[in-house]
Amino acid sequence: MKKTMKKLAALGLSLTMMMSLAACGNSASEQPAAEPEAEETPAETPEEEAPAEETTEGAEAEAPAEDGAGADLNASITLWTYPIGNWGDSATVDSLIASFNAKYPGVTVTVEYLDYTNGDDQVNTAIEGGQAPDIVMEGPERLVANWGARGLMVDLSDLFATEAGGEIYDSVESACKAADGAYYEYPLCMVAHCMAINQTMFEAADAMQYLDLETHTWTTENFMKAVQAVYDSGQQNVAAIYCSGQGGDQGTRALINNLYSSTFTNAEHTEYTANTPENIKALEELYAQAGINFDASINGGEEITLFRNGTLAMSLCWNAAQQTNADNGEAGKTNNGDTIIPMLFPSDDGKTELCGGIWGFGIFDNGDQAKIDAAKTFIDFICNDADQVNESVKASTYFPVRPTLTGIYDGTDTADVMNTFSTHFMPSMGDYYQVVPGWAEARTEWWNMLQRIGTGGDVATEVETFVTNANAAAAK
Amino acid sequence: MAKSSVATGRSKALVRRETRSAYLFLLPNLIFFVGFVVIPMILCVYTSFFDSTMGKDVEDVFIGLKNYTELWQDPIFLRALKNTFVIVLVSVPAVCIFSLWVSALIYRMKGVVLSTFRCVFYLPVVTGSVAVTVVWKWMFNNYYGIFNYVGKGLGVVENNINWLGDERFALWCIILILFTTSVGQPIVLYVSALGNVDTSLVEASEVDGANNIQKFWKIKWPLIMPTTLYILVITTINSFQCFALIQLLTSGGPNHSTDTVMYYIYYSAFKLYRYGYGNAMGVVLAIFIALLSAVQFKLAKEK
Repeated sequence: MKKTMKKLAALGLSLTMMMSLAACGNSASEQPAAEPEAEETPAETPEEEAPAEETTEGAEAEAPAEDGAGADLNASITLWTYPIGNWGDSATVDSLIASFNAKYPGVTVTVEYLDYTNGDDQVNTAIEGGQAPDIVMEGPERLVANWGARGLMVDLSDLFATEAGGEIYDSVESACKAADGAYYEYPLCMVAHCMAINQTMFEAADAMQYLDLETHTWTTENFMKAVQAVYDSGQQNVAAIYCSGQGGDQGTRALINNLYSSTFTNAEHTEYTANTPENIKALEELYAQAGINFDASINGGEEITLFRNGTLAMSLCWNAAQQTNADNGEAGKTNNGDTIIPMLFPSDDGKTELCGGIWGFGIFDNGDQAKIDAAKTFIDFICNDADQVNESVKASTYFPVRPTLTGIYDGTDTADVMNTFSTHFMPSMGDYYQVVPGWAEARTEWWNMLQRIGTGGDVATEVETFVTNANAAAAK
Repeated sequence: MAKSSVATGRSKALVRRETRSAYLFLLPNLIFFVGFVVIPMILCVYTSFFDSTMGKDVEDVFIGLKNYTELWQDPIFLRALKNTFVIVLVSVPAVCIFSLWVSALIYRMKGVVLSTFRCVFYLPVVTGSVAVTVVWKWMFNNYYGIFNYVGKGLGVVENNINWLGDERFALWCIILILFTTSVGQPIVLYVSALGNVDTSLVEASEVDGANNIQKFWKIKWPLIMPTTLYILVITTINSFQCFALIQLLTSGGPNHSTDTVMYYIYYSAFKLYRYGYGNAMGVVLAIFIALLSAVQFKLAKEK
């Protein structure tokens, strides 16, 4: 009997150990680590491998409160921010918080810096552990369509009711509004994602004739001619339909949707509608076009690297922050000095709709009204305070969400580039459809669909599979 | 008699005290073991019977075995399971055979030479998986990777091969990397085990006229069997749990050709918030690991 008990105990222990291996995931040496990719938003600065945390004590702020308005506000709040321009840089964020504390010395803001590789997992783990941050900075696809839709966020309608809130572009406001009518994000900045070409390679191929450099536009027909010309000039890899993951997937969506003026979702943001003849035609032509590779081994961030090092003649994952990025040398140049020209995605009707990025703040409902009030005060100060908002937007390296805010980059090194983007690209920002239910699954389905097409799958069938699976996710 | 019973009482007290000390020494580890292994394991099994997701005031819904039945109708899970078994069935024998072969060649070497070999093979084990992966990713690069460069230079490859982006090659690339990071520990263990084989037994067999092959299979192989068993179990578990390479190199693609059960667990739980479904996969994976390990134990015992 004793022997049997011992055997049973030993068996139990063995099973425990075996199962725990699956339950606990991987060994320490095999933890998922930083994937070299930018997600929806190619960050201007390199992503951080691990989150850093630091506290800016309100009481330590050097300047006293200008008036007594914020003096009675006392709370300690946490801000978790994704690397949205310099909002991922601690020196910049510290200075913004110091400005806040000058007015509200009783509020302590603790900042944690997330990256796009592990950030979602960190936030989700914190939510499950009851330790969600008070404020998180990101875009509507996370704040509204994900955490907001799950009832985890605070309604920010009162911020939209302010004078500054009333000035926000309608399309941006709409993206911050959930299906239940509540606002789960208060926006600070935005950008329109575009594409770019290597001027030297295009000149060598006599392909500059296909571009309208005045407006930074081109037609679908001219785009295909340009790709062929660059390919014929000996540049085998002209562009890549990158699809190893979701990083930078807005570029492939925008290219395909614009070639023959089609859509990704319906206008109500309730359904995926990519299975149109126009999208199918676009995909078939891209697949057949020499020089365009459906590459399942790279994502958006890696495509940018290949473009910068001269391997590719075009990038589909570009924006103003990439154009002003001087990490690898002179801004607006490739690593070997070729000039980079930003372009709108080609369109057959001359009306390109660029995918937008909108970033702002959401508040997690942690059940503490004092913290919620302090968090709203922080957001109001950063986004609405007349003396502060320009600096807050400038820190993002993107554009304001209110037409009344102008000249933010005047006098800076990037003023000309930002003006170009402001004039030619921002007006083409299209519908912000990334708030359709089931977005996370739909994104995965999208790059999986591109992989299947890239390996010879029938385009119409694969697109139909994508829409069926994405809509099934939306209906859950 | 009385003296004897007093002595027995004393020795029992001593044993009790030593036992208590032993348990106290074990206590810190036990706390971690219970906290980070036993309790998560119980929660894993428990949650696998629920439709559990993230959300405020969202209650877990008991659905019995529905998660488990769904698994066998999920083509992605089935493909992930198949890929996992391919990795295990290729990687485990390859690692064991290669490490035994290398160890048999080097274990008699002395000093610096032996240490050098140990270092060479152990280096990928102690190097961070991210660093290893980044280097391999560069070597496999479609556009300027060294494999394509050398292959084209030698005339073996006509056009660049997209190693990690082509269904035909991606899983084998993963297996190759896993192999290089897995052989280090078995080689060190085998070198040690072979070095500990009693030389008198080997010498006796030589006196009896045994040749090298007979000496290895009849004398050394049975004596290093416990080490072999340990290596088999550990390599099997590591292969079943292949995750970081997939996450960093292919994200399960192209077209799910490198999905493994571990990666699909992560994807289901952390990307789709299907905690119950992910846990059900974890339980199934644990059962497979336990079964395979039991078979290995059984076979090794019979030997």
